[in-house]
Amino acid sequence: MKEALSLVQRVNAHPDSRCWFVSWNPSGSLVASCGGDKAIRIWGREGDSWICKSVLQDGHQRTVRKVAWSPCGNYLASASFDATTCIWKKKDDDFESLTVLEGHENEVKCVAWAPSGNLLATCSRDKSVWVWEVDEEDEYECVTVVNSHTQDVKHVVWHPTQELLASASYDNNICIYREEDDDWECRATLQGHTSTVWSLSFDATGQRLASGSDDRTVKIWKEYPNEAGQDLSWKCVCTLSGYHGRTVYDVAWCPLTGVLATASGDDAVRVFKEDESTGPDQPVFSLAAQVTKAHSQDVNCVAWNPKEAGLLATCSDDGDFAIWRFHED
Amino acid sequence: MASHFSGVLQLTDLDDFITPSQECVKPVKVEKKQGKSVAKIQIEDDGSYIQINQDGGKKKLEKAKITLNDCLACSGCITSAESVLITQQSHEELFKVLHSNEANVTEQKVVVVSVSPQSRASLAAHFNLSSSEAGRRLTSFFKGIGVHHVFDTSFSRTFSLLESQREFVARLQKKEQDSKALPMLTSACPGWICYAEKTHGEFILPYISTTRSPQQMMGSLVKGYFAEQQGLSPQQIYHVAVMPCFDKKLEASRSDFYLNEAETREVDCVITSGEVQKMLEEKNMSLNDLEPAKLDTMFSSVCEDEFLSHAGSGSGGYLHHVFTYAAKQLFGEDVKELTYKTLRNKDFQEVTLEKDGVVLLCFASTYGFRNIQNLVQKLKRGKSHYHFVEVMACPSGCLNGGGQVKALPGQNQKEHLQEVEDLYKAERPLSPEDDTRVAELYQSWLLSVGEERAKELLHTQYHAVEKLTNGLTMKW
Repeated sequence: MKEALSLVQRVNAHPDSRCWFVSWNPSGSLVASCGGDKAIRIWGREGDSWICKSVLQDGHQRTVRKVAWSPCGNYLASASFDATTCIWKKKDDDFESLTVLEGHENEVKCVAWAPSGNLLATCSRDKSVWVWEVDEEDEYECVTVVNSHTQDVKHVVWHPTQELLASASYDNNICIYREEDDDWECRATLQGHTSTVWSLSFDATGQRLASGSDDRTVKIWKEYPNEAGQDLSWKCVCTLSGYHGRTVYDVAWCPLTGVLATASGDDAVRVFKEDESTGPDQPVFSLAAQVTKAHSQDVNCVAWNPKEAGLLATCSDDGDFAIWRFHED
Repeated sequence: MASHFSGVLQLTDLDDFITPSQECVKPVKVEKKQGKSVAKIQIEDDGSYIQINQDGGKKKLEKAKITLNDCLACSGCITSAESVLITQQSHEELFKVLHSNEANVTEQKVVVVSVSPQSRASLAAHFNLSSSEAGRRLTSFFKGIGVHHVFDTSFSRTFSLLESQREFVARLQKKEQDSKALPMLTSACPGWICYAEKTHGEFILPYISTTRSPQQMMGSLVKGYFAEQQGLSPQQIYHVAVMPCFDKKLEASRSDFYLNEAETREVDCVITSGEVQKMLEEKNMSLNDLEPAKLDTMFSSVCEDEFLSHAGSGSGGYLHHVFTYAAKQLFGEDVKELTYKTLRNKDFQEVTLEKDGVVLLCFASTYGFRNIQNLVQKLKRGKSHYHFVEVMACPSGCLNGGGQVKALPGQNQKEHLQEVEDLYKAERPLSPEDDTRVAELYQSWLLSVGEERAKELLHTQYHAVEKLTNGLTMKW
């Protein structure tokens, strides 16, 4: 392999706990991390090292599972096992808790902002997916509650340009939703994984969706126009199997370079690259780089820097987050 | 098995990894009998359990049973109650009672069926009839299979509307002293009540109207007034309600509607519009082939052989009637037509009464779980400015209830619902205060029983469900 992943920095972000998730702010200058210690930490680069800029505490009673930056970068949403979602607003150099979204019966597993910043999606172990709308006064109202999954919903992600939402569940399925005549509806169910689907990522155009699963595979799904009805049609065009020793917990499609990173329960971080010679209906991805002992425990998350090509953040049950550089030459 | 309950109930506290049959964590109450503590238990071929004592004596062990009441009092699951429902409240149960009436003439039960106007409209749409015609033919069907009386819950709804109007005005007048007097939230929807009791408990319950729903008003009428008139004990009457909604079965099972002395429920069994359709199928009948029957006028809102309805929404018209009554009583305003302003979505609407630029009344209707959520959150943040809210668990309200006859394959769901609504609205509305039969009953019956008893017959109460904290319900 010509390509390689080299470690830039390793930070013990959530000592004696797990680091569940890391998220770059839209300008790529900050990383938010969250963990089993109920805290959210904001990290910034100063010279060669990463410094904790602020700690967002007392917002949650239990584990903070996911954090998401609003597209404008001024808000942060955090999803917690305490059944709530917190919205934090940037004020000067710090963050203050703006509001708490209640309604889910139990653990909130994921939160995601729509590209417009006006909609927020959350999902929970209560099997439901909720969409919230934000008005000018920072008031949040529930727009819909959809019960299309039969089990715990692990992940929600928005299409990069359209108001189209995808969710992944313990029921092995992926659901795709859009608003139809006054309410949100599940317009497509993607079946194929044989175990829990943990994560989803759209490519930069939104025409393809990658999913990572407990069945140790990554699947690439492609949208096809459907002449018959208005229902959306997504087909699995590629399955990456044989690479991951354990569950694939996260997938991330780099919006700048198009490479695909995965986080796995086998402690490894991998990067896959699409072969340029193959067609869109039968793409072939090959392993471009991997670090087998990227962390000392399960890798929970992979996140590409939105501005600096090849800069990858990962985090793990070992409490660390790490920054890597993916070299192509 | 797909759940039939409203979405609100399906969402409440479910578990990931356990199938519904294993999900129940309700500790079963066992009658403990004195005796030696050491014994063997043997399972027979038929699956029954036999206890073999040390002295060799055998005793058949009773099965532990979870009743619907246990389910209602438990903060655990709700969906597993469905299998309990099937054994206690189904059209098979009605058939059973009718069969045993045939077989045992001396110990017959008087069978009363009370049909909701929403069910009538749903069956009318299915058979391409007018709502009144469907009602007449349903009467004919039920009488043909051995039912003695067929009543109409529009009649008992008149009581619900009158009581709601009075309750609202009384609440509004004490709003200064009681911070939870307003907004008054309607209580006719059992899915909403169950959710409120299990999820928001003490916080939300004071806002909820104590007025009984039309189904349970009919329960009072049938097992109270009617039984007395007929010289029957409440137990000698088997009372069935035909409803657009599965959650109504839960409502009928509430201990508040159980007559302890007579050991019977005010409504013994609830069957849905869809189950009536199933009964017709099982009997190889269609409403199209049945002759219309003369209507029972005792507890029916009728004018000759046409059914009468109420103005306003297809969910009972609570907002409409309370609004017009309050406008008149409190502000001397005659409101002829209400203007519904659609807010976030079609299931969230607002009606206001303004005079000289001042908002005097602000009412809303919120249907479906998403709108209920926003209502509850607004109340919690002290940001609700409503005086009254008509709350229903189902999107589009009761005409779209989960128990309604399903649209035919290939039929557009929305067009089907519109058809049901048109049929429902085609019945001529009657103003509750103009119902002379109801006024008469207030005079003759409710005055005679005394104020306290009358309140019990027309109102009910709610109970917060404490969250279970035993190890079995531990959430990881």
